[in-house]
Amino acid sequence: MPYNGKITPVQMAFLLHPTIVATALLLVPAMTERHAGRDMWLSPLWALMAGFATLLTAWALHKRFPDDTPIEYSERLVGKTAGKIIGVLFIFFYWHGSGSLLREYGEFVSGTFLMETPTEVIMGGMLIIAAYAVRGGIEVLGRCAQIMVPVVVVLFMTLILLVSRNLDPYKLLPMLEFGILPSLKGSIVPQSWFSEIIAAAFLLPSLTDRSKGLRWGVITLLFVAVILSLTNLTVLMLFGELAGRLVYPVMSAARYIEIADFLEHLEAIVMAIWVFGTFIKIVVFYFLLVQCTARVIGLSDWRPIVLPVGLLILISGIWTAPNLQQLVHALGTSIVFELLLIQLGIPLLLLAVALIRGKKGAPATAK
Amino acid sequence: MRTPLSAALSENENILRSVYADCSDAVFRRFAVGGQTSALLLYIEGLTNVEEIDRCVLAPLMLQTDQPPSGPPDQLANRQIPVSGTKPVADIAGVVEEVSIGNPVLLIDGQTGGMAFSLPKWEKRNLEEPKAEPTIRGSREGFLETLGDNMALIRRRIRSPRLKMRSMEIGRYSMTRVAVAYIDGLADPKLVDEVMRRLQKIDIDGILESGYVEELIEDHPWSPFPQVMSTERPDTAAAGLLEGRVAMLVDGTPFALVVPASLFTVLQSAEDYYQRFWISTAIRWLRYFFFVISLLLPSAYVAILTYHQEMLPTTLLLSVAISREEVPFPALVEALLMEITFEALREAGVRLPKQVGTAVSIVGALVIGEAAVSAGLVSAPMVMVVSLTGIASFTIPRYHAGFAFRLLRFPIILLAGTLGLLGIMLGIIAIVVHMCTIRSFGVPYLTPLSPARGSMLKDVLVRAPWWMLNTRPQPVGQLNPHRQSDNQRPGPDTGGEQR
Repeated sequence: MPYNGKITPVQMAFLLHPTIVATALLLVPAMTERHAGRDMWLSPLWALMAGFATLLTAWALHKRFPDDTPIEYSERLVGKTAGKIIGVLFIFFYWHGSGSLLREYGEFVSGTFLMETPTEVIMGGMLIIAAYAVRGGIEVLGRCAQIMVPVVVVLFMTLILLVSRNLDPYKLLPMLEFGILPSLKGSIVPQSWFSEIIAAAFLLPSLTDRSKGLRWGVITLLFVAVILSLTNLTVLMLFGELAGRLVYPVMSAARYIEIADFLEHLEAIVMAIWVFGTFIKIVVFYFLLVQCTARVIGLSDWRPIVLPVGLLILISGIWTAPNLQQLVHALGTSIVFELLLIQLGIPLLLLAVALIRGKKGAPATAK
Repeated sequence: MRTPLSAALSENENILRSVYADCSDAVFRRFAVGGQTSALLLYIEGLTNVEEIDRCVLAPLMLQTDQPPSGPPDQLANRQIPVSGTKPVADIAGVVEEVSIGNPVLLIDGQTGGMAFSLPKWEKRNLEEPKAEPTIRGSREGFLETLGDNMALIRRRIRSPRLKMRSMEIGRYSMTRVAVAYIDGLADPKLVDEVMRRLQKIDIDGILESGYVEELIEDHPWSPFPQVMSTERPDTAAAGLLEGRVAMLVDGTPFALVVPASLFTVLQSAEDYYQRFWISTAIRWLRYFFFVISLLLPSAYVAILTYHQEMLPTTLLLSVAISREEVPFPALVEALLMEITFEALREAGVRLPKQVGTAVSIVGALVIGEAAVSAGLVSAPMVMVVSLTGIASFTIPRYHAGFAFRLLRFPIILLAGTLGLLGIMLGIIAIVVHMCTIRSFGVPYLTPLSPARGSMLKDVLVRAPWWMLNTRPQPVGQLNPHRQSDNQRPGPDTGGEQR
């Protein structure tokens, strides 16, 4: 049962890319540095493991149930009651996820740009626009992503290019001083971010060309790893091991830019990258939350619950943590396990059940 | 009204006279065919060519008294009346319809049918250069107010009989004729049917301009963006037809409608395709850049001055600060005041009689200019910003489409004044989401950017030379995707020096 509307595999890639990168770009470099030190640029590459594990699990399940989202096939695999429980888990997961995501956005903006504006106003403004996009359905999301993500990538590359003259490659040395263990440890947080590729499981059924779904999923993951690794390299060559002490290293990097005495203080570029990227990420999480809710409680039309769910996301954003420090702490500790458990654990469990019971879904044409 | 014409002429005349009661412009001319059978000629004064009636209808019928012409009107038309366009009419409604478009109708006593002659004539404008979309290179012909002439202007550009023109009447009272033009084999039949369906659904008292039709057939009536392209140029309409689009011509207006439209059809000018592709590409980029400027410059100025002063280099910041020192308003108020003044001047310039126009431009230069600055009401940089924005908004080739973006400027200025650059970004996101939502006759508004159509980008990001534009735009032209054969690239056959 796909959503009303279809997106192309490329649009799916454009939706999934910011779903992982948008928040990973700002908070994760510092968190990685704390464990990996100078080898932090390796960590995103290790983190690909979780990404591929999640993507392949989602793909294997999609092959068995081509027309279903995880909500439907979990009911078919483990029975109605257990399936509903998994659905509710997904609902709470995406509720919490979109809430803390929104809060990260609010904290970033109010912490760096609009210090006197209440966070609730900043989060609410974003949510209203997100609600408008979500109401448009998956096609609108796909098109928005296709417009915005290339802009974000170009801005990001420009940023790296502009900052490149301040880079010091010697800060990378010595490489692998303590073996690969630190970089593996550092990869735990990025691992959890990479597992967000599970959103693909929800999007695969509404692709125009399903056979290309896996290819574009893999491209997304590789591209995410390259961007994150590039970010970590830049931050590392700029700040060395100081990077772990900065809350938003990329933001601090942008402050270094000074060209021809005219282009300086380009934090606005970072904000543009961040706002556009986060918008797509919020919209994807929001959309999945609405879809999961509508499917678990069996609504025939999901549009009426978009606004109420938005309000709940705002509340979750306010509740999720008392301040930025605790939010960052949670993101580096307990949320890692939450992300991995729900996004990788549950799909693996479902796949195991499917393999043991040898259960196959109805053929793709069934409707 | 569907009363059939009776054989008795006096009966028909009574009905028609009651239909045209108190219509002082309706002329009932009683005469005798060959001095014997009485007949009636009905026409509207001012819509009909009276000299031709006298010469071709009345003279041959009245003057042959030695061998009086007789028989039903269609036979008379075949033998006696040298007029090219004739049409038999059978009922009162048919008579009224023919008379209303300027065709005189002949009724003869003792015969059940009447005959209409195509002899319309009314005062009209001569062919002129399109006022709203002028070009340096390209045809100087613009559409007229007459449907027939407009159809001819298109037919002269596309002579193939596969160019079809379906016509219909819309409007209970105005009974406006509307023609739907498309090229058979290029336009998707489903699109044509959809256009016909939406037009037939219209039930309104009158259509005075194609703007009525436009608002009544749009997909998203609340959107500020035009989802139908209106053009005054026959060549633009013909280009649209050749791409597989459908054009609508409305009697009484020189503006044709072309669907489906997208954001980029609005940002393109006919001349883009007439000059060398390098120039067109450069001009397109210039246009896109100034399109963004016209939407964002004042709000960026407000946001930076209010929230992000650190983004300006120190010297620039100082000079701006000095010029703003005596200005009593915050940047937001200043920007809104100046932008609204500019819009008022523009509107006044359009509406005023030409003789007063120079006065407006003199006063305008005072209000948005040196005088305002030296009065200490606005700062000099603000004047620059407003003027640049004004110029930028006039680079959008379709004046009416430019309005949407000019309007959107104001909410973005307010957002910039309240949330700074973040507000501008939220505004941009909202606009992008909205443009992603709307469709024009089923085609997403941002095609070919999103959903991306790689092969079409060469006519959007740049203007590729004609020998590379082998395919029609998708998905409009998918019925017949190739518009020319592949190897069109010109070049000399052999290389080397001439002997």
